[in-house]
Amino acid sequence: MRDERGPWYLLTGVILGIVLGLAYAWLVSPREFRDTSPASLRADFKDQYRAMVAAAYVANGNLPRAMSRLEQLEDEDAARALAEQAQRTLAEGDDPRSAQALGILAVALGGVELSPAASEESPPSETTQPVGSALTPTAKPTALVENPGTTGGEDGSSPSPSGENQGATRTPISTGTPLPTRTPTSTPGSPFVVRDQAFECDPAVPGPLLRVLAEDASGSPLAGVEVVVSWDGGEDHFFTGLKPDLGAGYADFLMTPGMVYSLRVAGGGEIVADLTAAECETPGGSRYWGSWLVVFAKP
Amino acid sequence: MRRWIWFILTVGIGFGVGLLYGWVISPVKYVDTTLSNLRYDYQTDYVLMAAEAYAAEGDLDLAARRLAALGDTPPAEIVRQAMIYAAQLQYADSDQELLSQLATALQVWTPGSGGPAP
Repeated sequence: MRDERGPWYLLTGVILGIVLGLAYAWLVSPREFRDTSPASLRADFKDQYRAMVAAAYVANGNLPRAMSRLEQLEDEDAARALAEQAQRTLAEGDDPRSAQALGILAVALGGVELSPAASEESPPSETTQPVGSALTPTAKPTALVENPGTTGGEDGSSPSPSGENQGATRTPISTGTPLPTRTPTSTPGSPFVVRDQAFECDPAVPGPLLRVLAEDASGSPLAGVEVVVSWDGGEDHFFTGLKPDLGAGYADFLMTPGMVYSLRVAGGGEIVADLTAAECETPGGSRYWGSWLVVFAKP
Repeated sequence: MRRWIWFILTVGIGFGVGLLYGWVISPVKYVDTTLSNLRYDYQTDYVLMAAEAYAAEGDLDLAARRLAALGDTPPAEIVRQAMIYAAQLQYADSDQELLSQLATALQVWTPGSGGPAP
């Protein structure tokens, strides 16, 4: 008796093999779970990683290194992600130092796109700035560049020992690459004075806002300045620079109508008192909330 | 009998193709992982960040809390491992020094004590 089934059994074998192979590769023995990159982190762990990058940046002032680390998270807009996290941190009442660090890094990144240039490294010792210290507007430390092949990730591109540490192994290869201009931050100990205080009517500004600008003596915006707003029975703190779109020295606070607020920079300086929400009126007679603008400046 | 041999052979070929696709072409992509799942070089860099921050802040409790995110291993052991990897990965001497400072501080640290300043 002849078997007339033909070669279809071969196709069956291939299909069966593929199914078994995929089941083994995806289910039984998938690629090492431990070999993940920061981009795959859960959102809260990404926040923690970002906060760690910001804390390290505030400690060593090394922006290229911070950028290199942030690139691993693959955020669409790293500066915005930092600023949003800073605001979340403040809103949730978490460590204000962390919010400040995030804000400072967000401002420092403002206008600096993450690019291959982010791999340019400078040694922390040459750019170290203590927290809150006055920063030189431009810093041009000797440029150091990572070894090539430092961006291994989940794609299995395990970097070689000469460059595996994405942002950690640094081999000096050139000098003279200018680094991005850094935004100055505040210097503790110098009391601020009120340079300007005005009530403004602008329909484009939502809600009754206390808007604050912090500047240095030359009028340059200062990021990371802690502002204290207090009212009868309450107090809150916020920092400049957490809304980079509105300027490095900008911060605002939403007032509750009927409350009387006073405003000062943490650590001393002039106090602006008796700030209350007030309304404005358009030529057509419709009313909207105005806002207070207070400019604190170093003398 | 010959038919069975060919069948088993084609199953083997298919299995190989499946492995190739599942491991190389389209491997499992993990999302929502934790810091303890990071590849060791990323973890080492995370420890270095903690060491950099500690060197400026001097808050050992905070450094220990940050390291605790990397798993249940004691912070001192995490830093010790990171120092080994940092040496293998040829970290800069200044970075290895920061790790060493943190490791030294953690050796005498007890939770809540604050620990010695860097």
